[in-house]
Amino acid sequence: MKEQIPAIQTAALAQIAAAADERMLEDARVAVLGKKGHLTRVAAGIKEVPPQDKAAVGQLLHAARSAITAALDEKQRVLRDLSDRAALAGIDVTLPARSMPLGALHPLTLIRDEAIGILRRMGFALADGPEIEDEFHCFDALNTPADHPARNEKDTFYFDSGKLLRTHTSSVQIRTMESQVPPIRIIAPGSAYRRDEIDATHLSVFNQLEGLYVGTDVSLPDLKGTLEYFLHELFGTTTEVRFRPHFFPFTEPSFEIDVKLQIKGQAPRWIEVAGCGMVDPAVFEAINRSRKDQAFDPERVTGFAFGMGLDRLAMIRWGIKDIRLLIENDVRFLKQFA
Amino acid sequence: MNVSLNWLGSHLDLSGKSIKEIDDLLTFAGVEVEGITATGITSEKIVVAQIIEALPHPHADRLKVTQVDAGEGTLRQIVCGAQNYQVGDKVPCALPGAELGGGFTIGVTVMRKVESRGMLCSATELGLPPGVDGLMILPADAEVGMPVKRLFDSDVMLELEVTPNRPDLLSHRGMARELAALLKTPLSEMDVATGETASADAGVIQLAAPDACPFYSAVRITGVTVGPSPPWLVARLESIGLRPINNIVDVTNFVLHELGQPLHAFDAAKLSGGLVVRHAHDGESFLALDESEHRLTPEDLLISDASGAALALAGVMGGLHSGVTPATTEILLESAYFTPHGIRRTSRRTALSSDSSYRFERGVDPSSVLTASAVAVKLILETAGGIAQTPTEIAGMPPVLTRPVTLDARKLDQLMGGSIDLAAAGEILTRLGLTERADGAWDVPSFRADLHRHIDLVEEVARVHGLAKVPSRFLGAFVPASPVDAAYDADMVMRRRLAALGLYECQTIKLIAENQMIDALPLRALQLGDVIRVKLPLSEDHSVMRPSLVPGLVASAARNVRQQTKSLSLFEMGRAFRNAGGGKAKDQESETLALLISGSITPAGWNQTERAADLYDLKGVIAALVPNRTIRFMPKERDGFALGCDVKADDQTIGVCARLQPARERDLNFTSPVFVAELDLTKLRKFLTGIEHVADLPQFPGSSRDAAMDLPLATPNATIEDIIAKCGEPLLVSSECFDVFTDPTGEKLAVDRKSVAYHFHYRAAERTLKADDVDAAHQKVLAALTSKLGVKFR
Repeated sequence: MKEQIPAIQTAALAQIAAAADERMLEDARVAVLGKKGHLTRVAAGIKEVPPQDKAAVGQLLHAARSAITAALDEKQRVLRDLSDRAALAGIDVTLPARSMPLGALHPLTLIRDEAIGILRRMGFALADGPEIEDEFHCFDALNTPADHPARNEKDTFYFDSGKLLRTHTSSVQIRTMESQVPPIRIIAPGSAYRRDEIDATHLSVFNQLEGLYVGTDVSLPDLKGTLEYFLHELFGTTTEVRFRPHFFPFTEPSFEIDVKLQIKGQAPRWIEVAGCGMVDPAVFEAINRSRKDQAFDPERVTGFAFGMGLDRLAMIRWGIKDIRLLIENDVRFLKQFA
Repeated sequence: MNVSLNWLGSHLDLSGKSIKEIDDLLTFAGVEVEGITATGITSEKIVVAQIIEALPHPHADRLKVTQVDAGEGTLRQIVCGAQNYQVGDKVPCALPGAELGGGFTIGVTVMRKVESRGMLCSATELGLPPGVDGLMILPADAEVGMPVKRLFDSDVMLELEVTPNRPDLLSHRGMARELAALLKTPLSEMDVATGETASADAGVIQLAAPDACPFYSAVRITGVTVGPSPPWLVARLESIGLRPINNIVDVTNFVLHELGQPLHAFDAAKLSGGLVVRHAHDGESFLALDESEHRLTPEDLLISDASGAALALAGVMGGLHSGVTPATTEILLESAYFTPHGIRRTSRRTALSSDSSYRFERGVDPSSVLTASAVAVKLILETAGGIAQTPTEIAGMPPVLTRPVTLDARKLDQLMGGSIDLAAAGEILTRLGLTERADGAWDVPSFRADLHRHIDLVEEVARVHGLAKVPSRFLGAFVPASPVDAAYDADMVMRRRLAALGLYECQTIKLIAENQMIDALPLRALQLGDVIRVKLPLSEDHSVMRPSLVPGLVASAARNVRQQTKSLSLFEMGRAFRNAGGGKAKDQESETLALLISGSITPAGWNQTERAADLYDLKGVIAALVPNRTIRFMPKERDGFALGCDVKADDQTIGVCARLQPARERDLNFTSPVFVAELDLTKLRKFLTGIEHVADLPQFPGSSRDAAMDLPLATPNATIEDIIAKCGEPLLVSSECFDVFTDPTGEKLAVDRKSVAYHFHYRAAERTLKADDVDAAHQKVLAALTSKLGVKFR
């Protein structure tokens, strides 16, 4: 028996070493350590070993089993390592990605959200109003006389009911002041309509952002500071901003605002981005008549309002040359904003 | 409005002012400069130079190195390629800094190693008609160093946009008056002696509509010779882009652009009797100068003669047969004040507009009526001869449109942020022609009828002072967020979620075409009279207020398909419009979300096969939009659509969905099914409020059982779900369908049957379930299905 054990061990180690895969390794294990394995059978014979030899044979058996087990473990590690490496070697990391869904927000949403984000940080709250408006909220209350050119059926969409599609979001100023009292600090993004043929620079339905701040000591410095700050946030703090006197029926004094911007490949130039002004006292008077109170007494209350075209801001921001790209929804265009 | 710089220069001294300075001045006065067109030479830096020496260029055969005297005391070296001159000739020399056409600026350069300090110019290089080849040779007596522009006629035409509140700027005199005030330079005196006037008797001028025409004047000039205008007058008109016609008409046009007062000359021979200023009869017809015919209303104002024949549509346009012709020898020159709103109405209604109506409808200066008439008479006599009858016949009185206005120091200070004191503000008003009265109020000149309130004076001060000098203040009141804020935030969450799910946000025009209505899938089906149409659409393509956002998305998708885009996942948020008043106008604007999914949802790739979007993709998007809710599609037929369904979140209907009819898909060249949904944003927003408490996680493991049921093909899955839900087994925590098997061949399963397989998950909150408990619960669920549906379990 003493002679058998080393022979079994040698044979087993040889079989283990020869195993080319885990299956052959398992065969080798079963052959020597399985229920009917060579070593198992020899170990069963220990009962017949004379007592004085038992300890020595036991030691031999233990040493053989340890050596074989260690060899099995080691061989298994080596084989797995090899197959892991083979599996990884098959991966071509340069193959293209699995496509994940890719969507995008519309550029108008992006610019609107950016503008709203800035103005909300400055303490403005959102407001809205109907797009199908009446003449009072769209014109009369905004100090626009009945024979004003904007009230022409050629320029404004009317309905048989006498209502119209609001020509500006300024009607939200009126709606808000009818239902709230100063201080009012609101912005109102929304659609406006003009009876313009659609071309590269005009849409009959376009998007504006209106702002209004009414309080007891709102002044030109507030208007200037607010809009300068807003435009610096939107276009960069070094952007030059200028206020040109202008005329709107519902503000006095009124200004148009230009920013000096450099469009790629062009010399920097002044680009008109917004209109603004101090709320005309006639607007407050119309509100008071509508409210039947003096909450907006022009002797006590002042305010400023501003409005800008969001489509135009988007065109400026991304160098969009044709405004129709904003309504055609060509996925090749939209994808660029993903 | 077009303005000539030379013409302006006849009213005030603009020498030494660059175009840029004048542009800025006007811009900051509130007059937008929309275009600048220079004619002739404008640069001061192109001067007369005498060629003193011309030597061959050491490195170039075709060039010469010249020394020229440009009147600078020293000679200037310029390399020149021309051959046509002699030493001693005088030629135009562009000095460094001079701008030539096309934005080309002259500088000091080195040409083939020889320095050249300027450029000798040809006629073409100066923008003049081409003459000889080579340099332009100037007259020998031209003074060296003098700007060449003085030898030639040159001018700059400015295209200006005057705001509607400033009709006083609609003339050269008016614009010059404004510039003089801004520049603090004097305005040139105008030599206008208005002649004698006498109230006309009713046989000469009859004012039958004093509300529309409070003041009218007429001068009769006999013995005129109609012919071409003298060169100075032709040049003036051409300088602002007008076409000369004849001396009489040209004078009236000149005076209109000189003083802003429109005039009209009638051929006296064509009149019978005196002039009558009256409203038109209802339906009266009028044949205008431009040969258009108009039916008038009593709102329109006419100039007619005693016979009643309409001679002119007052202030708007003359009649075809009453005007001055080459045969005219006697004229009647009208100068009048017509009230703005009447002219505006007539001009708008008849779609006739003219330089006259443009000014009258904005308001002319009543005090310029007689001045303009006197200037015109003088010029007509000069250019067409004849004798003017005196006195000038007048009817009515020039209206007084201005009244004293007070400038409130406290309000000025508040509004301007203390950036200007009352004295400085007063100085601005004085420059603008206002005069301070003893009582502190300000008298407003007749040409500034727009200044009638305190705030109007503040505006003038702010405008001239400039916002640049006003300090900026960075302050604001605190205000609470509004419901609109909450809605906006919820919408942005949904927008970002949809984009993350692979959808592209669209923006479509809210006015759609009648023929797009076929694609409308509003939340509630449309009833007769629900659709809102605009009265005067620009085109049939934009005539209906969209009652649904789906038509816009379908059109966008069809457009993309034409561009070979294979994968379409689109959404739009916005308002849909309908009349909810049942005939009465009760406009309803609903905030809506529309979805469209079609075509390749998984593109073909090396590791995946292409898959086209189906209804369940659409359902998946909606489910991801409102997570943790059960989204169910409940079949409900919609006209014009296939697979119409109500969309439910838990038990609430939140919208509709459908597939386009396959025939419609083919019409629009879609090659894949098109699935659309329209959802109620106001309801969706409520699902985005988040959770109030988190649920405890299960402490004990659960067990699953599967079951496959053999069912009639037509049994909807919802029926199974309902039975499972209603059986009320407390241990059942969830169940889901994981397989549906059908066999169209009938081999493995009858054609009219299907096999539906479900996972059932069982769990108790307070203990680990034993197999027996699970089996018992499972049997209860299966028994319910058996009894309600008669299913066989496979």
